Amino acid sequence: MSYMQLVVFRLGDEEYALEITFAQEIIRIPERITKMPYLPSYIEGMIDLRGKAIPIIDLKKRFGGVEQSERSVDSRLLILNIENVGIGIIVDDVSEVIKVEEQSIERLNAELSGLGSNRVQGVVRIDERLILLLNGLNFKAEVLTSR
Amino acid sequence: MIALAGVESCKFMAEFMADLIPGGILFGVVEHDTFVWVKSSESFSLDIFQVGKRLNEDTTTMQAIQNKKVLTQNIPRTVYGLRVVIVSIPIIDDKGDIWGAFTIAFPKLHPVAAAFGDFAPILAEMFPEGAYIYMSDLTKIAYAQASDKFDMPSIAVGYDLKETDIAYRALQTKKPIIEEIDASKYGQPLTIANFPLYDDEHKNLVATLGIVTPKKTAVTLREMSINLESSLEGIAAAIEELSASATEIHTNEGKLNTDIKGIINISEEINEVSAFIKEIADETKMLGLNAAIEAARAGDAGRGFGVVAEEIRKLSAQSKSTVPRIKQLTDTIKGKVEEASRKSNISLDASQGQAAASEEISASIEEITSMSMELSNLAKSL
Repeated sequence: MSYMQLVVFRLGDEEYALEITFAQEIIRIPERITKMPYLPSYIEGMIDLRGKAIPIIDLKKRFGGVEQSERSVDSRLLILNIENVGIGIIVDDVSEVIKVEEQSIERLNAELSGLGSNRVQGVVRIDERLILLLNGLNFKAEVLTSR
Repeated sequence: MIALAGVESCKFMAEFMADLIPGGILFGVVEHDTFVWVKSSESFSLDIFQVGKRLNEDTTTMQAIQNKKVLTQNIPRTVYGLRVVIVSIPIIDDKGDIWGAFTIAFPKLHPVAAAFGDFAPILAEMFPEGAYIYMSDLTKIAYAQASDKFDMPSIAVGYDLKETDIAYRALQTKKPIIEEIDASKYGQPLTIANFPLYDDEHKNLVATLGIVTPKKTAVTLREMSINLESSLEGIAAAIEELSASATEIHTNEGKLNTDIKGIINISEEINEVSAFIKEIADETKMLGLNAAIEAARAGDAGRGFGVVAEEIRKLSAQSKSTVPRIKQLTDTIKGKVEEASRKSNISLDASQGQAAASEEISASIEEITSMSMELSNLAKSL
């Protein structure tokens, strides 16, 4: 039986998860974010994380198309490392790290998955909760690709 | 002097006058030293005035005969039992020799005593609580007049004066005495006024006039006003205590309010502390999550570390869950304390009202007290 470890985070009312291997660390949102010109509004800017420049994505803007996303005291910056590219995503809360059996992940059927450009890999069900498991590799391409 | 020839006319006059003179009178004709004719009023007589009675040398009549002069003498009470005035006029015959004397005797009364029967019955009724009016001579009660409302049967006519009696002392000191006597002697409180009386001509002390009046009303009034005063004092003391405790309540309520504000401040501080707890819990959670990520990245080597990370996250979740509970508790405390503060303000208002009211009562009591003191003074002067 093989297990999978997931980092679960919240965006508004929805819960999302990424494989833990894509996660690097969780930090508070820095006060200073360097704005970038000529970039889409969901890219907040750049920060310096221990000598490395990392782009910051407001995932709610990107996913929901909202103009302005609210920040709370629980808002965090989840630093991902996908194929050695560092990306910071602003999330409402990083809820937990969970361990699930790979079999318990419901894969979406090919049609539905195709409609979402394979961004959502599957659904993890824990009690009443439905957690959307994002495809990490596609995710990088997704957030760094202009629409 | 009277001529022997005129004696018959004198006798005729005397017969006629004897019963016209108030207080009574005696007429007598003495030949040499013996009464040969006597005329007396119905109301007055003396043993010595009897036909055939011989007179001693020291009598007024014999002195007048011997001295051939008209003689008037006041005879003290010791001689005939009452004061008497004797006037003796010598009678001479044709040759100018002494034949005898025409003697007149009448009782000597003090004018007050003479009028006693006229004024005393009226005067006695003129006192609101009645009066007992009496006259004494030098040794006993001679006249007495009771009123409808008040009588002193133990001090009747003939009562011998004792050393303790006010009349006796007035006679001794020759001064008027006005005294109040409590109920122990005659059964009720009395005022006794006694004035010594002198005879007109010689300024000799002869009698006393006394008026006894009951003092029941005045004494009752005085007792009542004393009672009133003492109960007012009690009330005033009670009110003073009341207003002192109202002041204390006021002070305590003020302190209570300060304490309540203190409690509110403390619960706010608790909230600050719990915010700090939340911060630590958040930090710990992040630490746990990062540790889990690090452990996953380390693969199998990080498994033990992963367990620790899991425990850290659980701990953080636990401490964070206390925060809303603390907040709920401090909110409850705040609510209760604010309610207590509101109630204490109400009782503060009430105690202020109480203090004001008791001050008003105090002022009224003071007024009543001064009135009762006036009343008491008035009663004393009655």
